Amino acid sequence: MARRNFTPGRLAAYIVLIVWCILAIFPIFWMASTSFKPVTEGFGGLGSLLPQNPTLNNYVAVSRLLPLARNILNSVTVATVGTILTVFLCSLAGMAFAKYEFPGKNALFFLLLATMMVPPEAGVVPVFAIMRALGWINNLLSLIIPTAATAIGIFYMRQYISGFPNEVMEQARLDGCGEFRIYWQIVVPVVAPALAAWASIAFIARWNDFFWPLIFMRSKEMFTLMVAISTLPVSEGLSTPWPVIMAGTTISVLPLFVIYFLLQGYQKEGLALGAVRG
Amino acid sequence: MTPRRWLFTSLVLLAALALAACAAPAAVAPEAAPAEEGAPAFPPGKMVVFDYGQPQYWQQFFENYLEDNPDVAPGVTVEMVQTEGEADARQKVILSYTAGAYDELPDAVASAPVSMKAMAEGGILMDVTEYVESFEDRFVDGALDQLYYKGSIWCLPKDLRPQLLFYNNDIFEQYGIDPAEMSTFEGYVEVGRKLKEASNGEVFLSYIDPGAYTWRYWGRRGLMPQAEARIWDDEGNVVIDTDPGTQLALGTLESLYSEGLLYSTTMFQPPLYDATREGKIATYYIGAFWDEFLRQNVPDMEGKWRVMSAPVFEEIGLGGAPVVGMQCLIDKPNPVYADLYKLIWEDYHFNAAAREKWTNQMVEQNAPYSNPIARELLEDEFWKEPEPFYGGQSFREMEGKGLENPSQNLRVTEKDAEADQIISAEIEKWVAGSQTMDEAIANMGQQLRDRIGQAPTE
Amino acid sequence: MPSSGLLQRIWRARTIYLFISPFFILFAIFQFFPLVWSFYMSFHEWNGLGPMEPIGLQNYRFLLRDEVFHTALGNTVIYWLANGLLILPLALLLANFLAMPHLAGRRLMRSVMFLPYVTATVAVGLIFNMIFDFNSGLVNSLLNAVGLPSVPWLTSVEISKLPVIFLNVWRLTPWYTLILLSGLQGMNPELHEAATVDGAGPVQRFFSITIPVLMPILFFCFITLTIDSFRIFTEPYILTQGGPGNSSLSIVQYLYLNGFRIFKLGLASAIGYALTFILLIVSAAQIVLLLRQSGLTEVN
Repeated sequence: MARRNFTPGRLAAYIVLIVWCILAIFPIFWMASTSFKPVTEGFGGLGSLLPQNPTLNNYVAVSRLLPLARNILNSVTVATVGTILTVFLCSLAGMAFAKYEFPGKNALFFLLLATMMVPPEAGVVPVFAIMRALGWINNLLSLIIPTAATAIGIFYMRQYISGFPNEVMEQARLDGCGEFRIYWQIVVPVVAPALAAWASIAFIARWNDFFWPLIFMRSKEMFTLMVAISTLPVSEGLSTPWPVIMAGTTISVLPLFVIYFLLQGYQKEGLALGAVRG
Repeated sequence: MTPRRWLFTSLVLLAALALAACAAPAAVAPEAAPAEEGAPAFPPGKMVVFDYGQPQYWQQFFENYLEDNPDVAPGVTVEMVQTEGEADARQKVILSYTAGAYDELPDAVASAPVSMKAMAEGGILMDVTEYVESFEDRFVDGALDQLYYKGSIWCLPKDLRPQLLFYNNDIFEQYGIDPAEMSTFEGYVEVGRKLKEASNGEVFLSYIDPGAYTWRYWGRRGLMPQAEARIWDDEGNVVIDTDPGTQLALGTLESLYSEGLLYSTTMFQPPLYDATREGKIATYYIGAFWDEFLRQNVPDMEGKWRVMSAPVFEEIGLGGAPVVGMQCLIDKPNPVYADLYKLIWEDYHFNAAAREKWTNQMVEQNAPYSNPIARELLEDEFWKEPEPFYGGQSFREMEGKGLENPSQNLRVTEKDAEADQIISAEIEKWVAGSQTMDEAIANMGQQLRDRIGQAPTE
Repeated sequence: MPSSGLLQRIWRARTIYLFISPFFILFAIFQFFPLVWSFYMSFHEWNGLGPMEPIGLQNYRFLLRDEVFHTALGNTVIYWLANGLLILPLALLLANFLAMPHLAGRRLMRSVMFLPYVTATVAVGLIFNMIFDFNSGLVNSLLNAVGLPSVPWLTSVEISKLPVIFLNVWRLTPWYTLILLSGLQGMNPELHEAATVDGAGPVQRFFSITIPVLMPILFFCFITLTIDSFRIFTEPYILTQGGPGNSSLSIVQYLYLNGFRIFKLGLASAIGYALTFILLIVSAAQIVLLLRQSGLTEVN
């Protein structure tokens, strides 16, 4: 394979990407930098981007305010279990909608799309009543199960899998594969980039959600990290200094960054589908 | 079938689902539970309180009590559920209540007048009139004022915090201005002008927030009660736009802002603290809470700040309207810990040793605490101790002084959370420069009449 | 069609129904009842505690003449248009660049460019408030450095939507970039190579190969972006709280204020349904347009 040299197109690509990366990282860098500042140091303005006397005190303070280890464990549980479930169920349903004909298919699909348009905030009271009937108040199941199969995830998987060649599936069927084996052994490996992409998105969505956990969780031991942090900020009678809050949010970003970086190992482009088609 | 037809079908389906809803049953009414006669005073278990702010510190008092009085309620623990604020605490109560989860209702909930009234009206709170009134003589004046709804008391008072004026003494020394000039609003405005001129516009008298805080603190909590302004008259009619007090209160705010005496930035955010640190903000009106904010966020300014009572309007002469902190007992079927809560509450207010022990724990952690509201405790020298952050002045003593000569809070009705949103929107447009204060006041009146009409009377 | 034939077809597809059943079961348990409930609520006045008062269509009638709702709707439409014009083209550009073969530092750049979506909103709110602060904010410092006057980003009724839009583009572009990138990764590289051999330039290849192959994913992005934009809440909530004077208020924020701050649960439900109705119409129009545009008969 000939290594292409710098063309104007590639130069433009590098410039655009680097500019975007700077824009993307700058506020986060500022957040992290602030978390190392003593409370006595000013932190508005460009001149104060770096802490003059870096300290770990804010991290100590936030760990005193919150049962951090427990909160992180809750977040990891919800995000991991929830992500595995949702990627599995969404891709399965997505394949069904993309590759099979069955009575009521289009009606069900449009119903699925329509459910995406209802703002869930309006139904908080009944959702709470249901959770309570199930005994899931203050229970992590209330955060994992309702989003185990989401309309948007199924929609995405359907769109992605619709590009998958029918012939391969036909061939497998002739070879005597059951539908689930086709999914597991043939579709899954090929759509790995989509699964990885959706896994990162699903993981982050669960990790960062604080609307529902704040409603369903009733004790600080059951709070996810994001809820714990979202109850810190400032109002009358609640004066957590901002550097302490930034320490909390920095802790919350780090695992996500690492996981995303690792998940990219599965996103090698073009490999699978090209290979099958080839 | 074409996608369009399917889309139509699904729309019809959705509408049909929705129509079926009209037959849905209404919420189930609470069942009365049998009272337990002769049961042990406090069965082992967990007392639950919905609180906001930093409940872990309030919890510490409960834990101290249970530890120091091991015979009262052995096997009982306390849990403070952290909520985001008044509305969030109320929402959590509503959720449990509508879900029929009476056993999951907390034993007590922190609240504020608007939500307290709504919850009392909804029959969720315990009537504690007799109990609380039996302590009235021992409390400072006005401690129970904001607890009444329809003639009864629905919450236990926790604290009563005055409105104070915080000022950066260094600035006043540097420009040779006597802080005593700020004992009236007329003088306060004048001091702002002097500072602006002497510093070439570098030093601002105070700050103004572009969002809802301006109405909340400058308006509802601060200038409005001090000017004896009203939103509603006693019959619940909107009078904000015709009331002379409103003109006085908001007119004063307008002079401050239009003359460039207020630094425009978001309240509670770093740029404001930076400006404070750089000596650009001379004073903070109002709210005793600035004590914690200054200590927490500009601890390096120790020794520079001083406190005095809020300025008064010359023609009216009333100080700031104090803010009550309240915690309400829930009237649930089997309120086993209500009496325990009362015992701890009494200990908090009248047991000087316990209160000092807890206060010292708070000081150690740099945590918030407030003055007692029981007179007998306030007499102790402990509540007059000087503090280095205020250059040797006693903040605690000033907090007590700030309660003298109080003005009455604006009358709060159940509709006042909504009224606040309406009024604040108009104030915000004025701060943003897209309408004059006269227009803002006129619009408030019109919008309140249009959207709320009449406020409920008790 | 005889019903026995239909039943037979259903029976034959039983595995497939099993595959899609989890979503519909969860929908039935967790969404259907709330949907019905909030529809019922929307014809009532209720503060969550007292008795519910049936008031017919009054909530909907109120919304028709409610200035604040109209402002929120107008703001939301502006957010939607801005998102559509800015986020998708930007995401498409970034995804294409990131998918380039032999890009140095690709893995790192992909991780970094995804950071905005990852970061906790409370931190983002604080940092953007500092960046757009009138007196000491970074943006105004930069403007002043090149001789331009300071702009009251967060404190002006006229332009308070701009920082919200910036924040929205900043936070959402990575999400769409990731989705589009996954689509590009699924493409057969031979298609491009064949076109290159035929002498097609990069721009030509982009429009004649990338876009058509990416169509299903682009369709997903269009619909999702519309729904996301109409349901925008976080960005104005953390940056301007909808102010000053409701000038950056979004519909869901208005729903939230009514439902969770002043406890007009009936009105909040009505807002939810009004929003659903608007979204159904907008999305239906979009679906029809997109299908006609792409000449497809199926929603591919």
